[in-house]
Amino acid sequence: MTTLTPDRSEMIRRFGLDKQNDATLGRMLATGNIAQADEGPDGRMSAVVRIVPDQLVWDPSILVLPHGGELDIEFVNDDQNTHCALVPSNGDSQWIWLPNYTRGTVHVTLGGPGYYWFSSNVGNDEGRGLIGAIVVMGDVPASARLDRPPQPRP
Amino acid sequence: MTTIEYRPAPPPVNFGSLTTATGTAPPVAADVTYERILDARSEPQNWLTYYGAYDGQRYSPLDQVDTENVTQLKLAWVFSFAPQGLHAGQSTYAFENCPIVVDGVMYASGWDGWVWALDARTGQLLWQYKHAIPFDTSLCCGNVNRGVAVANGKVFVCTLNAHVLALDATTGACIWDVTSGDVRAGESLTIAPLVVKDRVVVGSSGGEFGVRGHLDAYDMETGERVWRCYTIPKPGEPGSETWPADGDAWARGGGNCWITGTFDPDTNLLYWGTGNPAPDFDGEVRPGDNLHTDSVIAVDADTGEIRWHYQCTPHDLWDYDSNMECILFEQDGRKLLAHFDKNGYCFVLDRTNGERVNIFPFVDRITWGEITPDGQVTPRIYPDKEGEEVHFYPGPAGAKEWTHASYSPKTGLFYVPVQDIGATVARRRREFKESIPYWGAAVVVDAEDMAGSVSAFDATGQEVWRWRNDLPMCASTLATGGDLVFAGTPSGQFVALDARTGELLWQFNCGSGHHSSPSTYSVDGKQYIAVPVGWGAWVEGFLPGMMGGPHGQAMMVFSLPDGIDSSGGR
Repeated sequence: MTTLTPDRSEMIRRFGLDKQNDATLGRMLATGNIAQADEGPDGRMSAVVRIVPDQLVWDPSILVLPHGGELDIEFVNDDQNTHCALVPSNGDSQWIWLPNYTRGTVHVTLGGPGYYWFSSNVGNDEGRGLIGAIVVMGDVPASARLDRPPQPRP
Repeated sequence: MTTIEYRPAPPPVNFGSLTTATGTAPPVAADVTYERILDARSEPQNWLTYYGAYDGQRYSPLDQVDTENVTQLKLAWVFSFAPQGLHAGQSTYAFENCPIVVDGVMYASGWDGWVWALDARTGQLLWQYKHAIPFDTSLCCGNVNRGVAVANGKVFVCTLNAHVLALDATTGACIWDVTSGDVRAGESLTIAPLVVKDRVVVGSSGGEFGVRGHLDAYDMETGERVWRCYTIPKPGEPGSETWPADGDAWARGGGNCWITGTFDPDTNLLYWGTGNPAPDFDGEVRPGDNLHTDSVIAVDADTGEIRWHYQCTPHDLWDYDSNMECILFEQDGRKLLAHFDKNGYCFVLDRTNGERVNIFPFVDRITWGEITPDGQVTPRIYPDKEGEEVHFYPGPAGAKEWTHASYSPKTGLFYVPVQDIGATVARRRREFKESIPYWGAAVVVDAEDMAGSVSAFDATGQEVWRWRNDLPMCASTLATGGDLVFAGTPSGQFVALDARTGELLWQFNCGSGHHSSPSTYSVDGKQYIAVPVGWGAWVEGFLPGMMGGPHGQAMMVFSLPDGIDSSGGR
């Protein structure tokens, strides 16, 4: 039996899971690039996320934040079709049209550790690959932690 | 080569602006004070707090809809909602809410951080709030939220990533947001908050992940935490002798407070149920009674100190949380409470001191053990030897899950949604690791040979009537002054029963199973009955025979057609 370890990237490439209409019809989720957001002196974070032409994938498809807080994402649609972005944020999700060759910035607030999906929620952009993840690292405030000795983690 | 000229995209918008929401609600919540909530039953047009009133009776004096005219009850409006994109617990979300109504405005919460204000007469969406919930939050029992609290112009709600929020009741804008728990430890919040005096009281979820349960009070205006009450004592604290002296069993002990409590202003005590010990089924790693798990605790509303406790299942080996409601009532001059427990017994206690008054069974099949009327507990069937399967009744969802009984002071009867279903459990020891399920067992709940009912009991334990259902009953009941009991079935029927006889008087197929708490209110003199409909959550625990049942996501509201006289005949 073949598995996807130890070289996961190579196996994804070999099977064509990181392309449109190769092994799969669309593109497997979370097989795109990974990047970390920039952090300003005030702790506000920023990133640029593009749509790769004819690939229906966000670049990066996994955006890593060092902590929760305010984030500015500039979306750039390099594709020759119209898409959009629905991004979770405390209060209300943010939604933006992304016609061909446009760019626009979305401001979101994410409160704490975990990961959050964003997507282009039209047609079946999501199934074809336009679902990305925003990963928030870090811990909750000390005031929110349990009063107990440190415990083992997986 | 042509250079691509990029243009600005249209500006981003709040996704909620692309709905019919008006954006504002009338400022009706501004005048909701502690005093009004104390006297909630004097304004039956409203459902001001989670149970309708602090006593937890889930009873409304409204009597426009009664046993004579209920057959003419019709759907008045539906608020339907569906998620966009991926969200946590995509296969387990459910609509477990109890709608709050204040002077014509309904405030409801859904799964995955949704809060809505609706016109209670028409169902028009007024505003919505969406909290961003991590996809990977630890959830033992589905993506759910059980409701909001409303007071002083604010809507208070808890989130799955363990935040407590105060929203502006007129716009839904966030006023304060505090992190109450640790998602990396496996904590979450699913509870409907309770406003008491100038505080918002919430309890944590996460007992299946080996957290240390707690109850917290926050300042209503600032969000500052006023007190925290851990249900599991640290070494040296009262009750710590019920845990192993060595090791960290207490620190992983569970005892979470994930269902709203009740409150008596005369005793100044909050009556709160606590959850299972962790690990749920492997008692060998935590010898002792394991206080204050599976208990009714009476907590000083001002200080958060536990004044007394009554443990319903000492040293639990069956996942028999005691979170479910404590219904406050008076009998023969005594201030009592009634608590229908997962373990199949109802506990009637003196709520001034926790003294046992009566214990009686309320389900047919109880094989895990026995509790005598004088409180002696004898375990009989329980997971013990590693890998050896045992089968017992009730299963881990209990003879009654968290969904609530109601009590009518008119009839003096409790109306209990009963689940008669067993489970097979084998102890399987595992190491504790933060955020990973910590059950200590392999568990399979029966998918056949089960039954359910709404059963009516008096406080002595006498069963007065029983309305039988083929499937276990997994939704709260509602009692009204029209001598009706409303209940939802797992197959989707919303039924009205005669409160005195149990006769089925009316039913409506809502299209999805019920796992919520209906409420009733009136606007401009017209009575409405509201029921959130949406099957899901811990179905594998309380009714795996309905794992394939359709999810739903609708607030369905019923009333009599215009022109129907409340005194009309059937």
